[in-house]
Amino acid sequence: MNVELTELTRKFGHTQAVAGVTLQAGAGVFGLLGPNGAGKTSLLRMMATVLPPTSGTLRLLGRDPGGYGPRREIRRRLGYLPQNLGYYPGFTVYDFVEYFALLKDMPPGQVPSAVATAIEQVGLGDKARIKLRTLSGGMLRRVGIAQAIVNQPELLLLDEPTAGLDPEQRVAFRALLREFGERATVIVSTHLVEDVAAACSEVTLMDSGAIVFHGTPDELIAQGEGSGAAGDAPLERGYSAILAAARSGVAARS
Amino acid sequence: MTVATDAPARRRLPSVGGTVPLTAARLLRLELRHNAMPWLLPLIAALFWFDSYRPSMGMPQYWVLRTFWNMGQGHTIVDFVPFVAGVAAWMGSRDGRRGTADLLTAAARPRWAMQLATWSATAIWAVGSYLVFVGVMFALYAHQGVRGEPPWWWVAVGAAAILACSAVGFAVGALYPSRFTAPLAAFGALVAMAMSSQIGFSHTSGWAQILPTNSNGNFQPDSGMLYPWLPDLPIARIMFLAGIAVAALGVLGLPAAAGGPRLRRAAAVATLAGLAAAGAGVALAGTARLGPHGLVIPALHDAANDRPIAATPDCAGTGFRVCLNPDYRSELAHVTAALAPVVREVAGLPGAPVRAAQTPAIYSAGEGQGGQAMTISGHPPVLGMPLGALGLPGAFGWTDGMTAGQLRLLFAHAFVGAGNGVGTPAQQAVQAVLLQGAGLPIAMQPNLLGSVGLPSWAPATGGPGPTTPVPATGPVYAAARRLAAQPPAARHAWLGAHLAALRAGQLTLAQLP
Repeated sequence: MNVELTELTRKFGHTQAVAGVTLQAGAGVFGLLGPNGAGKTSLLRMMATVLPPTSGTLRLLGRDPGGYGPRREIRRRLGYLPQNLGYYPGFTVYDFVEYFALLKDMPPGQVPSAVATAIEQVGLGDKARIKLRTLSGGMLRRVGIAQAIVNQPELLLLDEPTAGLDPEQRVAFRALLREFGERATVIVSTHLVEDVAAACSEVTLMDSGAIVFHGTPDELIAQGEGSGAAGDAPLERGYSAILAAARSGVAARS
Repeated sequence: MTVATDAPARRRLPSVGGTVPLTAARLLRLELRHNAMPWLLPLIAALFWFDSYRPSMGMPQYWVLRTFWNMGQGHTIVDFVPFVAGVAAWMGSRDGRRGTADLLTAAARPRWAMQLATWSATAIWAVGSYLVFVGVMFALYAHQGVRGEPPWWWVAVGAAAILACSAVGFAVGALYPSRFTAPLAAFGALVAMAMSSQIGFSHTSGWAQILPTNSNGNFQPDSGMLYPWLPDLPIARIMFLAGIAVAALGVLGLPAAAGGPRLRRAAAVATLAGLAAAGAGVALAGTARLGPHGLVIPALHDAANDRPIAATPDCAGTGFRVCLNPDYRSELAHVTAALAPVVREVAGLPGAPVRAAQTPAIYSAGEGQGGQAMTISGHPPVLGMPLGALGLPGAFGWTDGMTAGQLRLLFAHAFVGAGNGVGTPAQQAVQAVLLQGAGLPIAMQPNLLGSVGLPSWAPATGGPGPTTPVPATGPVYAAARRLAAQPPAARHAWLGAHLAALRAGQLTLAQLP
């Protein structure tokens, strides 16, 4: 298993952001859905070793990130795109991706080709020497994806990766996700159910810090059929039905 | 909810151990390319030109005088430090301001190592540009034929000061990331430098000697010409500044997020070592005492630096020879001409010197120490001139006329045996007569004494530096006028007969003819 979470919790003061999540994941693309404040970002940050859990156990890539040595090893094999991508406006696209490739302890000899490949994969090959301050929001998002995938991670964590991407790029990005999912664990936090439908083999729905559904996209769709839940697409109706059931005290778990 | 999927094939990444230096070098290259320091270099260059270089050009062509303003009083440091501290704080706060903390935390490389790379780039730009600017200035001095040896130790102190400010600024920026941190750091550095200078003006000993812009003890006359530059105080200051730099950078490695246990232990050791070095520097500065050639710190002092620099004097003049250290060669004609009238006036009298030789100036701390007494000693008598401690034309507003007046005054003062003090009334009166004979009318002498006299005379003369004419009145000048009114032969004869008693302080004004 690349990801093994057992009763993982995270509190911020009196607020419980993540409440006893247990999850295991190997290779594949996993969609993480949920309303605002459901705990998706906190869960991703814990998996990215940015945020220590309050309680519970966390094993990533077969290692316990509680120890410095294993945590560093995990980070070498990790790709992470945070929800709010910070960047250095004066860096070029190439420099920014190279910078993070070096910070990920990639062998220096492999860095130039890896950076070039990552930039090509997100469709910014012709913008490699452009400074980040001149890029649009969607392009910056693609730069963020490039830095996340530059080290060919075994665990790729993406928080709202398609925000700001145009439809063409979104299609290309989903293909990229599927490609990565063949050999790595990809966990995508998103609000866009069409991303989940198109790219994810499994989907996890969170609400109030807990997982309220885990299954395939088809199973999520099935939850919405005949429920009368609101939504324009079948997945949205499944999403709404699960949340409604969870909030009425009926846990809907597969 | 538990979900199990297939375990992935585990990929083994290449070992990174041997590639760390190369990775660090590449990170440094990136940081150097994206550092904010180069943007401020034109501004610093302009300030350096107007504040460090141009004022020094008015000084005579000696390293010790040319660099007194920019190195000794630390103006070069002041020109750099606020900008360096500000830029370092800006770079240190970059990750906090730009919101890259999560991205950086999730990276494998320790946070401290990343911060050190960013700081190193800032420090390389700052110290590198300082060395280039100072190098260009020194090259211009050398091209202009400046005499003596450059104050290399003080260049090193400046580099250490800039390094320390970059480290402190960076640490402040990293610990308190905000857009206001950089301007506040720059302002704070400016205030610190101003305070350092102000404290330096009033503290001539003790801990305050450690302050990088405290000029007391820095630039003693004749340094680099008659005696080597004393490295004692520079070494203490470098210890202090380097210690501050190491401690500031070490503090960044202490938080849990900075790196692994070993790295954090190293950071703690660095912090403690830095504090110890800084403390040792302060303690050493506190033991500094005035030596004849500068501030001596016993624990750091090398007796070899007390030995004069070997040199064959350059001499000029027929009859009365004036010999100066070859570095003062350009003063030879002027000094010879300035002394000639008073030499003629005392010629043939007992104890009249047969030649003049330059003697080392004795270091005296503090501001306004405008000169030291000449001496007449030996058989045959030789006039000893501490030229380095006297006013030289072009230095600190001294003119040719003032320098000539001081040389004649101090010659006559030494001749009547008045020593370091203002002399007895009889000695003062005879001195006034000799000076009048050398072309300085008695009516002008009170002002001369006030403006170019020795500091030790100030209580007696009301000097230094009267701004309004002072009348030559009183019993001393009355007696002087009486003696001056004597025929030259009679005056000469009286002097020949009474010089021994005069020098012994046994004559009164009433005994003058």
